[in-house]
Amino acid sequence: MGYLEGFAVTLRKVAEGVTTRNYRGGKGGRSDQKAPKPPRLHGRHVLNRYEDGMEKCIGCELCAGVCPAKCIYVRGAENPPEDPKSPGERYGYVYEINYLRCIHCDLCVEACPTEAITETKMFEFSFTNRSDAIYTKDELLVGDDGKPKDLPWEDWRPGEDEYTSGWMRATSPSGKAGFEGKVGWSGELGYGVRSPELGQSAVEIEESSSDGSDEHGGHH
Amino acid sequence: MTSTEASTGVPFTLNGEDFEADNGELLIDAAERHGVHIPRFCHHPRMKPVGMCRMCLVEVDTGRGPALQPSCMLPVTPEMKVETESEATKQAQDGVLEFLLANHPLDCPVCDKGGECPLQDNAYAYGPGESRFVEEKRHFEKPIPISDLVHLDRERCILCDRCTRFASEVAGDPLIHFIDRGSQTQVNTFPDHPFSSYFSGNTVQICPVGALTAAPYRFKARPWDLEAVESTSMIDTAGARVVLQSSQDKLVRILGVDSDAVNWSWLSDKDRFIYEANTSENRIVEPRIWSNDTHRSVRWTEATKVAARALRIDPERVAAIGGARLSLESQYAWTKLLKGVIGTDNADAQLGDGIPGALVLGVERATIAHACQPGSVIVLVGPDPKEELPTLYLRLRHAVVEDGVKLVEITPRATSLSELASVRLRATPGTVGQVVNAIVTESFDQPIGGVDGSRLRAAHRLLTSDSPVTMVFGRSNLAESARYIADAVGGIKRLREDAAFLPALRRGNVHGALEMGLTPGFLPGAVRNRRSVFGNWASTPDFEGKDTDGILRAAVAGDIDTLVLLGADPMADFPDRQLAEEALDNVGTIIAVDTFLTESSRRSDIVLPAAMFGEHDGTFLNLERRLSPIRAKVTAPGLCRPDWMIAAELSLAVGPDLGFASLDELRAEMSQVIGSLEDLDWDALASADDGPIIVPRRNWDLEFGDPAALPAVSSYGFRLVVDRKLWDEGTMIQESASLAKLAPRAELRLSPADVQLMELSNQTHVTVDQGEVSFDLPFVADPAVAPRTAWLPARLPGFDVRRLLAAGRSITNVRLRIPDHGESDHDGGSEVRHG
Repeated sequence: MGYLEGFAVTLRKVAEGVTTRNYRGGKGGRSDQKAPKPPRLHGRHVLNRYEDGMEKCIGCELCAGVCPAKCIYVRGAENPPEDPKSPGERYGYVYEINYLRCIHCDLCVEACPTEAITETKMFEFSFTNRSDAIYTKDELLVGDDGKPKDLPWEDWRPGEDEYTSGWMRATSPSGKAGFEGKVGWSGELGYGVRSPELGQSAVEIEESSSDGSDEHGGHH
Repeated sequence: MTSTEASTGVPFTLNGEDFEADNGELLIDAAERHGVHIPRFCHHPRMKPVGMCRMCLVEVDTGRGPALQPSCMLPVTPEMKVETESEATKQAQDGVLEFLLANHPLDCPVCDKGGECPLQDNAYAYGPGESRFVEEKRHFEKPIPISDLVHLDRERCILCDRCTRFASEVAGDPLIHFIDRGSQTQVNTFPDHPFSSYFSGNTVQICPVGALTAAPYRFKARPWDLEAVESTSMIDTAGARVVLQSSQDKLVRILGVDSDAVNWSWLSDKDRFIYEANTSENRIVEPRIWSNDTHRSVRWTEATKVAARALRIDPERVAAIGGARLSLESQYAWTKLLKGVIGTDNADAQLGDGIPGALVLGVERATIAHACQPGSVIVLVGPDPKEELPTLYLRLRHAVVEDGVKLVEITPRATSLSELASVRLRATPGTVGQVVNAIVTESFDQPIGGVDGSRLRAAHRLLTSDSPVTMVFGRSNLAESARYIADAVGGIKRLREDAAFLPALRRGNVHGALEMGLTPGFLPGAVRNRRSVFGNWASTPDFEGKDTDGILRAAVAGDIDTLVLLGADPMADFPDRQLAEEALDNVGTIIAVDTFLTESSRRSDIVLPAAMFGEHDGTFLNLERRLSPIRAKVTAPGLCRPDWMIAAELSLAVGPDLGFASLDELRAEMSQVIGSLEDLDWDALASADDGPIIVPRRNWDLEFGDPAALPAVSSYGFRLVVDRKLWDEGTMIQESASLAKLAPRAELRLSPADVQLMELSNQTHVTVDQGEVSFDLPFVADPAVAPRTAWLPARLPGFDVRRLLAAGRSITNVRLRIPDHGESDHDGGSEVRHG
């Protein structure tokens, strides 16, 4: 009756309790509070603008080139001289990200020479068909106020849209590791300007996420 | 290129190792050959060194101590000691790159060259990493169009002199040059003279930075999302080797490949930018059938069934025109369908604007390298190679300018090579056969065809020297019969038994078509139809067929019921437009296998959509009889199919199956049936640097008759010269957005002497009277035109000169006079009266 030993293992594990954590927040969750997330969470992307409303994206396709999941599709086109979309000769004519493929590695953010693409902390978004999963340029581009668009299938809370900048670089500029205590780059249109990031020890992250008061990190 | 073998090698030391260089070989090339890459910008293996960029500085010790020397300017000398990785060399490279980058804008992300840029690569590999330059960079207006196809960004330019050297040395169009001095030095065009060279795209390819960009490719893709395959250009019969590059299954760029035998990496702008036609909205993407006064889209099965019904008739009443667009394999398949299955011999790949098939197939073929070998003599009896075979033109030009090749030009008007020719014989239309005959028979006493005896004697002296003679021949004038060109070929053949020939036919893979039997009287392999067993074919035609001229005449007479147009547009290409129109109106069923709705395919009853260049695999045969691969890079749109597949489908419906269902089976059968392809390794073609030359196993000999007599002098005192320009209203050009606008407007060209003689100087138009019709045309005086001739290329916007031509006329005479109603505001081509 060797299989009983197998059941015994199962029963023993059941008794040990659950180790996975429930996602507590979001619409229809047990509480309406979102779960605290690590300060460096990579959410859905935005395409940023300059203060004067020009698009930062120049359609260089470096993000698409570096993307390991091949989820970004960019096509450049010549800026119409009378109504330029971006500074310079070229702008991103087509910009699409397929979120069924995106692994949120942020390599696109690192590759971007103009800080045009950054990631928000928006994590609570889902879709019911494949074409909705492909975010078009219209959906990714921030509004005139510099804030990401609040799309119907996304759960934005007040204040969340201010944190869209590129703090979440995995590597620092010039490849130097010691970038703690420095501002990586400025936010867009005045949003997302943060105080310098503090140390990255695991303890600190644990603290900041367990108290739940600061979901975005950086505000110590 | 011209180096000799290592037996006379020059010993030298490179980074401590001993090597041998060729005699006179430049250090940079010798190092490259032995696996040591020296960074460079200005050095190009197909151009003369200038030492502009200083990137290739290396430490060289010739016995007087080490010193930095530009390796692109330095031929290897015996016992030279070279250090390419010494501290001094590295410092020099650092310094040169820092200087180059001082003024080079860092807009790599918007630059088309970013990702494949030699300056980027060298800066990474050899640069200092950081710049000490903090001042403002030099600024120029961002890209300025220097021609319709090329943009120049002077900020990015590093003044390497490649484009300017190419323009003046290689292309012979010195339209761009350095202007200003010091830090303001820039490349630019001359005021009001755009860089409108047929070869301007090459400067974009050789620019080591993004200073020159191609308008059609601008921002279309980035280097890392391009896929590439090597192929052969099908624009003209030179068969330039190219790389097709695609992004997202769309052709976005064509680059030249350095093929030693053919194009030396150069392309004409037509080769380079014609891919735009592939994505034209006007492509035919599904079979169509004409019913109820409109074309209706149908399925392949229905189209094939209807077409097969039209082909299952008396073979003498079936004819096919065209086939130059097809690959060699498709040409074989169609020949087998037409001649082996249907049984008709009425098939011609040329549209009355070429040279009789037997002459092309029968003459001893030269290679371009043979024609261009130093010290040889080239006879040109044909069209302006720059207009019709641009890549061949570059080779001929190089041979004459650099390698001392002597050129004898016998043409009715001055060509782009005239200035370089040793002897220029301006033979009026209809006289070239007799002019050559006078050279052969040494009749120098009296002028003939407008050429005086001393020039004939000079030509004779060159042609009978010890030098090898190559004749480049083709239709120099559509307004005169091809008979005269044949006479000239016969004459040269009589004068020099050892002469070799390059038939300068214009249209795509027409040599493949002729070789595969798409010309009356022949079967694949350039063998004459002996009406006996041929290969595994069920039958061969039991009658001698007609050429295009004959087919169209027969159609007018009601003797042709089904006409197949294999990518041919006789309405636009056949020299006699009226005959073509009447013929198409009289034929029962027209089956067009085409890519676009041309004037002719628009009139057809069945249109079968064919895959275009870049969409099907196959083989090309160029004017030297050199095989090279045509490769598919993108998917054919809609229901388009390769031509051989269409032939196979039709054959299945008409009668016996062709017997192959894949390209491999088709090639296997060709190797079996065609003697010259017997030992061909088809798979090796794709990787071969220069394809093999095939030698047909002919079962016949070429015979020449006596040259035709001089045409009678007519009271219509001007003889018409009609040829082609590179840019015209051809379908492919018109479907390529960037090229469509390049065709010049039609203008009659007259010699300045005639303009003066006829007191036309204060006129803008002249009435051209051909007897049956007359037109008012704008004209210009042009010293390229010989007296008493009038020159107008065909298919130019504004006026279709073919309205003055009629098939069967040996030459076309016109009368010129001042328009009756004096000055008028029309811009050409208005008809005055029908006589």
